[in-house]
Parts: sequence; C-alpha cells; structure tokens
Amino acid sequence: MATTATEICAPDRRARRGSLLRRRLFDLVGWGSSALALLLLGGAMLWILGVVFLRGLSALSPTILTHVTEGYGGGLLNAIEGTAVLALGGVVLAAVPGLAAGIYLAEFDAGRLAPFIRFLADVLVGVPSIVIGYFGYVTLVVDLGWKFSVAAGSIALAIISLPYICRTTEMALRQVPRALRESAYALGAGDARVVLGICLPTALPGILTGILLAVAISVGETAPLLYTAGWSNYLWTGHLTNEPIGYLTYAIWAFITEPFSSAHALAYAAALLVTLFVLIISILSRTILEGWRRRSPWERPAL
Amino acid sequence: MVKAVSEDAPSSAQDSMKEEHPAAGRGATPKLSVRGLNFYYGPRQVLFDVTVAIQEKRITALIGPSGCGKSTFLRTLNRMFETMSHTRAEGEVLLDGEDIFKMDVVRLRRRVGMVFQKSNPFAKSIFDNVAYGPRVNRLARRRNELQELVEQSLRRAALWDEVKDHLHKSAYSLSGGQQQRLCIARALAVGPEVLLLDEPCSALDPIATAKIEELLFNLKEICTIVIVTHNMQQAARISDDTGFFLMGKLIEFSPTEKLFKTPARKETEDYITGRFG
Repeated sequence: MATTATEICAPDRRARRGSLLRRRLFDLVGWGSSALALLLLGGAMLWILGVVFLRGLSALSPTILTHVTEGYGGGLLNAIEGTAVLALGGVVLAAVPGLAAGIYLAEFDAGRLAPFIRFLADVLVGVPSIVIGYFGYVTLVVDLGWKFSVAAGSIALAIISLPYICRTTEMALRQVPRALRESAYALGAGDARVVLGICLPTALPGILTGILLAVAISVGETAPLLYTAGWSNYLWTGHLTNEPIGYLTYAIWAFITEPFSSAHALAYAAALLVTLFVLIISILSRTILEGWRRRSPWERPAL
Repeated sequence: MVKAVSEDAPSSAQDSMKEEHPAAGRGATPKLSVRGLNFYYGPRQVLFDVTVAIQEKRITALIGPSGCGKSTFLRTLNRMFETMSHTRAEGEVLLDGEDIFKMDVVRLRRRVGMVFQKSNPFAKSIFDNVAYGPRVNRLARRRNELQELVEQSLRRAALWDEVKDHLHKSAYSLSGGQQQRLCIARALAVGPEVLLLDEPCSALDPIATAKIEELLFNLKEICTIVIVTHNMQQAARISDDTGFFLMGKLIEFSPTEKLFKTPARKETEDYITGRFG
C-alpha cells in the first residue's frame, strides 16, 4: 500500500512543489517590481519636495513676504500679489463660460453639438501653454495694444483653465442621480429650476473641485504669462491694461539662472510658495470631495 | 394539475374581463384612461397596445417580471419618459377626459405626482424638501400657509411625529424608510390627484414597508394611487385593482381579489403561482 501511495503521490507532490516554487517566484517578481516602481516614483517626489522645501525654507524670511523685489533681492510681495490677482482673474473669467459649457454638455446633450464641444475642450487641454501665451501676445498685447497687463495675463490663464472647469462641471453634474432630477420634474419644476436649484447645488462640491484645480493650474503656469503679463518689481496699482505685473513662477524662471545668491533665494522661496499653494489646494479639494461622498446617501464614483 | 377553476376559467374570465374592459366602460368615468398605448425606446418597442382604465380613489397595482414594461407604463402617465432622449409614446392617455399629451407638462406633473424606487431627497432640509413643490408652483402665499401645507403633507405621509422637532435638519439624516416617506410627503405637498409609485418599498425592510403600505391605504381617500411592485403579496395586500404585464403587454387587468384567486389567463396564473420562466 505504502509503495503504491508513494508511486502515485510522488510525481504529483513534485509537480505541486514546482508550481509552488513558480508561484513564489512570480510573487517575488511582482512585489519586487512594485516596490521598485514605488521607490522610483515616491523617491522622485520626495526628492523634489525635499529640495523645494529645504532650499525654500532656508530662503524664506519675513522680508520676502513683506517687501517687493528690488533688482536681484528684496522680497516677493509683488509676485505673490500678482499670482493671486492673475489666478483669480483667470478663474473668474473662465468660471462663467466653463460652468455654462459644462451644464450644457451634461444637461442639454440632445444635439450634435456636444461631442464637438467636448472635442474642442480636449484639444484646448492639449494645446501647449506657450502657444496660448504666444496667442495672447499677438492678439491682446500687440494687436489690441493692451501691452503686458493683468487683462492679457488673466485671459491667457482663463483659456487654459476653461476646459478643466467645463469637464469637471460636466462630470459632477452627470453624477447627480437621474432620480433626483426626475423627482424635481415630477413636482412640476421646469428645466431651469431643476438644473439651477437641484442639480447644481448637489454637484457643487465636484464643481468646486474643478474650479480649485483651475486655480492650482493657473498658479503654476509660467509660459502663457511670460508673453502676456510681463514682470514688474512693483505692487499692482489696479490698471487692467498697460501695466505689467509680477508673479511667482516668473521669479523662479528668471532668478534661478542669475549669478547672485539673493536672486537664488528669491527663486527658492517662490518655488516653495507655489508648491505650498498647490498642495493646500489639492488637500482642500480632496477634503471637500471626501466630506461630500460621506454625506451623500447615494454612491458616487471617485472624481 | 392546479385547481379545477383554472381549467374552465380562462374563457369565461376572459369574457368577463372584456365586459369590464375599460374601453367598454364600467359605469364611473375612469380617472386615467389609456387607449392603444405603444411605447418605444429608439427602435425597440417596449409597450404594445396597452388599454386600461384606472378608477378614481383606488389603489391600482402593476405587477410583472423585470423588464415587462410596467415601470415604462407608469412613466408615460406623467410623461416622465420625456426626460430621456429617443423615447416615443403613441396612443391616448386621458386624465379626467383630457389628453395628457396635449397638456402643459408642468401642470400634468402637478396633478400626477411620482415617487421613485430609491428614496431621493434633495440636498436640503426636511422642511425645504416638502416645501419644494409648493414653492415651485407658488401654492402658498404666506409663510404660515406654507408651514401648514408642509405639516399636512408630513402628517399624511405618517412622518410628522418623527420629524416635527427637527424640520430643519438635513433630509439625509433620516433613515431609508423615513426618507421614502419624506419623498411621499414631498409629492403630496403639491396636491396631486394621482400618485404614481415605482417600487417604493423595494429597498426597505418589512417594518418600513408596512408603514408605507398603511399610509398608502389611508391616502386613497384623497388621491388615486398607481403602484408598481415586484412583491405580489404587497399587491394583494393593498391594491383594489391589479394589472399584470408581460413582455410589454397588459395581459390581465381585474379587481385584485379576482386576479389572484381566479386569474383569467394562463400567464397570470403561472406568474402569481411562481411557476414562471
């Protein structure tokens, strides 16, 4: 009996041991390559953040936050203000048409126009930002004679944020459950009331996230502003045209290649400020979305 | 074999159904009269020549397997299908003798309210949920009129006692069953003559279901109720008339007791005895 058992079981056991080995090997390769990928990605990110934070923090001082730029030194108050003004201006300009287009795509998508608009938005996302800067320079700065200005810079940023606001608005509205709309229609509400009174408030956190994303993108943009906003060492006096304005990304771009340590300090500090700002915005939008998902009674896919 | 009744029932019952056939009229004028209704999703026909008369202040249950067209039928009664593109309805639906397809859709939906399968309160307070319809339709002139209307609707939906102390809390703070009763209150607040319910209890536990059934039973004094349900016991418990749909056709429509005890058609009997498909 024992012999027959070993005769029968032995090859089987050996095969089983072979497949176990193969599985272990596969497991090891899988885990190993995943860990390596994580290390590469996470390492790169940590490296970037590390450099930005270490250099930025050592360069950051009260002067930087309270003084305007003087030559290759001084502070970044003018650039901080300029970034805020330009980003805000860009988002305000993009929000209305972006929201409108998103609402159209999500709610009134009956005609043949919607795929075309969606395609245009995708193309717009793909246009290199420097091309938009060049476009702004040729049309706004030169042809319209606005010179380097808040108006030209804000419009360039608005063109860049428009497709993001449009698509996130559309997606957020599409996630509003159909039954919610229908019950509003069932109570005798018209299209405008349903969209504005029910769908928009329900989708608001998603829409807000899109707008915050647009702000973050605007804050981080450089190329479209180089040709439209120019640069200024002074605080903005409130003119929309004919007055160049400073912004943080310019300080990074221009000062890091100068041979002065004071200029480097400005670049490091500007990089830190931009990174911090974008980080805060993304944490903020995640918190909003998370709270929204937890509070709503229906399930929503991640945005 | 089943009971002897079913052997000879079909022909006679079919005849009696024809006598009672809505198109032929049954004395009282029906609240909703549907004649020759065909419905299409794009090229696909999902309702075939449905003819039925729904009597006033009764509960009419619509039963049938999934995809048989009963929900679609319900959605034609207040033209809710129009919110979806590529849909088309042909035929005649009369509400108190008036063609609903020629009516202003907003006015129609005020008269024919609807409650959906999943409770779907708006992201507003309990009060504002119920007040939504009256506000949209400008039904209350003064603030206290609105408050009275909200209280009355919540009472009718048997929810008032549970929520009267926190009317301004979010509607999402309510339980599933409470949310569904809130949706019923919301629908009642515009004073509908007909209330359509699309499987309102399918996501609820038996206790919450019992509460809703009880309130529906009381509601039929003020409005006509049409309820789609998967639950045959529910149909048998609460309805006065029952319609059985199969593959887009209304196979049988009779008083509930008759339909369940002596179904006229073989398909109905197979379905209600669970010997189907």
